[in-house]
Amino acid sequence: MANGKRFPDPHEYIAGQIPPELEGWEEMYPPHFLFGDDRKDWEKRQFWYLDKIHAVYPMPPLDQIFQQAWQISLSQHTTRIFCIPPAQGVAHRIVGCYQYICAIEPPPEEIIKEKAELFQVRVHYPVEHYDELWEEWLSRLKKLGQELEEIKVPRELPKYMPAGEIFPNSFRGYGPSYELMEAFDRAVNCMYKGWQYHFNYLNLAYLYYLMFFDTAKKLFPGISDSAISMMVAGAEVSMFRPEEELCKLSRLAHANPRVGEILKKDGPAGQKIEALKGLEEGQRWLQELEALKNPWFYISCGSGWYNYEGSWINKLDIPFSYIKNYLERLDKGEKIERSFEEVSKTRERLVAEYSKLISSEEDRQTFQNAFNDCRVIYKYAEDHLFWVEHWFHTIWWEKMREIGAVIASTGAFKEADDIFMFNRLEVPTLIEDVVTTWALGEGVPLLNWSAKAEKRKKILQAAANWSPSPALGPAPEAVAEPFTVMLWGVVTDKVDEWLKGATVDPAQVDELKGFASSPGQVEGVARVIKTVEEISGLQAGEIMVCPCTNPSWAPALSRVKAAVTDIGGLTSHAAIVSREYGVPSVTGTGVATVVIKTGDIIKVNGDEGVVRIVQRK
Amino acid sequence: MGYVLDLGEVTKDSLHVVGGKNANLGEMLRKGIRVPPGFAVTTDCYLHFLEKTAIQAKLFSILDSIDPADLDVLDQASAQVREMIVKSPIPEDIAAAIKESYLRMSQSMGKENMPVAVRSSATAEDLPTASFAGQQDTYLWVRGAGDVLAAVRRCWASLFTARAISYRAQHHFPHEKVLISVGVQKMVNAKAAGVMFTLNPVNGDPSQVVIEGSWGLGETVVSGNVTPDHFRVDKIIKEITCRKISCKHVQCVPVPESKGVKEIAVAPERQSISCLEDCEIMELVKIARGIEDHYGYPQDIEWAIDQDLPFPENIFIVQNRPETVWSRKRSEPLLARKSCQELLLERASKITRLS
Repeated sequence: MANGKRFPDPHEYIAGQIPPELEGWEEMYPPHFLFGDDRKDWEKRQFWYLDKIHAVYPMPPLDQIFQQAWQISLSQHTTRIFCIPPAQGVAHRIVGCYQYICAIEPPPEEIIKEKAELFQVRVHYPVEHYDELWEEWLSRLKKLGQELEEIKVPRELPKYMPAGEIFPNSFRGYGPSYELMEAFDRAVNCMYKGWQYHFNYLNLAYLYYLMFFDTAKKLFPGISDSAISMMVAGAEVSMFRPEEELCKLSRLAHANPRVGEILKKDGPAGQKIEALKGLEEGQRWLQELEALKNPWFYISCGSGWYNYEGSWINKLDIPFSYIKNYLERLDKGEKIERSFEEVSKTRERLVAEYSKLISSEEDRQTFQNAFNDCRVIYKYAEDHLFWVEHWFHTIWWEKMREIGAVIASTGAFKEADDIFMFNRLEVPTLIEDVVTTWALGEGVPLLNWSAKAEKRKKILQAAANWSPSPALGPAPEAVAEPFTVMLWGVVTDKVDEWLKGATVDPAQVDELKGFASSPGQVEGVARVIKTVEEISGLQAGEIMVCPCTNPSWAPALSRVKAAVTDIGGLTSHAAIVSREYGVPSVTGTGVATVVIKTGDIIKVNGDEGVVRIVQRK
Repeated sequence: MGYVLDLGEVTKDSLHVVGGKNANLGEMLRKGIRVPPGFAVTTDCYLHFLEKTAIQAKLFSILDSIDPADLDVLDQASAQVREMIVKSPIPEDIAAAIKESYLRMSQSMGKENMPVAVRSSATAEDLPTASFAGQQDTYLWVRGAGDVLAAVRRCWASLFTARAISYRAQHHFPHEKVLISVGVQKMVNAKAAGVMFTLNPVNGDPSQVVIEGSWGLGETVVSGNVTPDHFRVDKIIKEITCRKISCKHVQCVPVPESKGVKEIAVAPERQSISCLEDCEIMELVKIARGIEDHYGYPQDIEWAIDQDLPFPENIFIVQNRPETVWSRKRSEPLLARKSCQELLLERASKITRLS
């Protein structure tokens, strides 16, 4: 398997290269996520790389649940459901709080043959019946989300059960101790199930994309990756709805000047809501807001993958600041809505024009068919994102905070968010300890969960200041797993780039590579924005450098000269919106927010996917 | 029909009086594609010259009497006929018409003795042009009315090179039926020049325009004395997908005294900077697409950027011809007649090599 390129051996790396400040990191994660002796030979044979798409930052233990869930679901859809012939699943390991993943080496030849037979039979149905399957999928997920939201968490572990909850009134036969245990277990089950749904059509969507990609490259060997993604990427996808809804709310406020005046003021959202309640038209506006909050405000302010990102629903200051910005633009007579129709027209024009260049009639027909099939199912790649990573995750985060608050109220740890310091297999132990202690009566001690939480926070902090090796183990000669190619962009150049990065101090890095997501080249002053709250500091004409963007960042993209992100491919939100605004962008650089500092002069080459630091501040 | 026609007045219907090359230039102008301004000396003018100078009868009788297979005789006859043409004074009325057109053009450019290219433009379009058209002369950097007249006459004479005579004889094409027109066009005083293809000549990719250019006149690119700057542009999304800037150490410039061109060194600070601005690249791409659409086939185009004019009037198309290598393969399917299902299985079975 090895082609001579070799990254540090994982077992040696763990033994010698992890900074001492991270001591104790292994205890934060389930044992099967750790490198060790039991699986040593196999582990040494595989190629492990840092997952810069889903896990750019150190992993808080409970946040790992999504990773745990997707390892199973993504892999099973590849290996056991759709049976993609040479591809196996994607395995995970954690090293010093960072997630490494690995596209496992292909199975034996006879398995590949077996799978090829099954693949051909199983793969076409979803494309042929996509619209009805999508309807079913969405109602299934919505039902599950509702189930998750309705899980009852006891408000507290009361000193004595209230009279109203015992006989003869309404004794249910169990107490809040069980209720709390059940709440967490059910929430975990919902999350795992939701992530099973997540991959129902995603592997195929990527496969069809790659098929269209290959077809386009055969017909037009020099076609750029971004041209292909411009043909496939849709504009009218669920991910853009929250932004649209904000525009509608802004229009409504603009039509009611007294409402508009309140919303244009500086100050927190809560204050504005109070003021609006005093007006009749203000109340009507608030009703509109309430009506669309679920689902459209259940959007993460980040990627949806980390507990600290927050969502609009619990950070109303964010959408309210956008509304303020929209109202000011409406006052100036500007149009605030993005023209989805225009985007769709552009896409159709591109496909038609490339198609016209194909001189063989048969090729032209195949190109069209490949495009149509790809476009049908690729919608899934775009639409599922809002519903799972944003809507469903927002419900989960809220539920976890509810449970965390109950635990914190017992003094087991300090605050609700401390629950995220324990992995999903530890939390049941924690809860059991808490409810047992409560049940036992007065004066019974708990294990010291609080000290553990504090220690882990420090470890995560230390991990954030450490740059782990971009990869471990022998570089493979070949990769067959579609996500690895498409999502993580693991290709020769990338591996070589990582090899370079493995030996260089990140402070010395002055060139970053990512996806060439929106064409153009500009030079300018960088502003690093790590959370959406920092957006207000962004000056017009600066280059925005951020972890990733989603519609909660959109208003900023109209003001910047260029955008650089840590996370995201060619069809990521940042890529799509940058192209619309004609702003050059490079996405998926992995480490831009670490390497680049606010005030650095950087050059963004959106044609080639390169960011260069021209002058450090 | 008059003796001269401004290229702006030429259409493809004027083919029989201005020849293929000039008619093509007229068509391009009509399409709004900038070619250097100029005029055509018509076939009528050529016929009138033969009549007025009374060399016609003698000329054709010499040609009809020879055995084209006898190379010595052929060479001798060719030399004799050409000598007759070149030595015959151009009749007054013709000379006046050509001079007037030349002077008017010079004046409109604000130049005295403006340098021009004088090129033959044959009408024998039923003969395979690729092997025939190249047989007539081209004179570059011609200055002054007297020299223009002499060059026109030499173009007429070039209709009777030994090869041309023999070719017509072999194909039983009567010599008197072949008429010739001459084009007189402003020389572009190029800041930068080069070639472009409306497909990628390396892999046949029809979605790209490939541009190669260097400082000065186009000769350095055509001759290969300099590694030119290389640009690839996606025609559809209009994105420059590749940009390779070379070190261009020499450039070609016109030599006023000698009517020729010479190579001079490029100033060190200009050697490694792009010879084209992005706006010029995009304008060239627009023009290339226009020409390709007009002909319906991929084209190989020579361009030049005038140093005296402002953008975009400074961009000129000097020559274009159909691209032949990939065009011939064009209708063969590249996807091997595979269905989407087969392509999908192929993709799903694919192992991306990383070494």
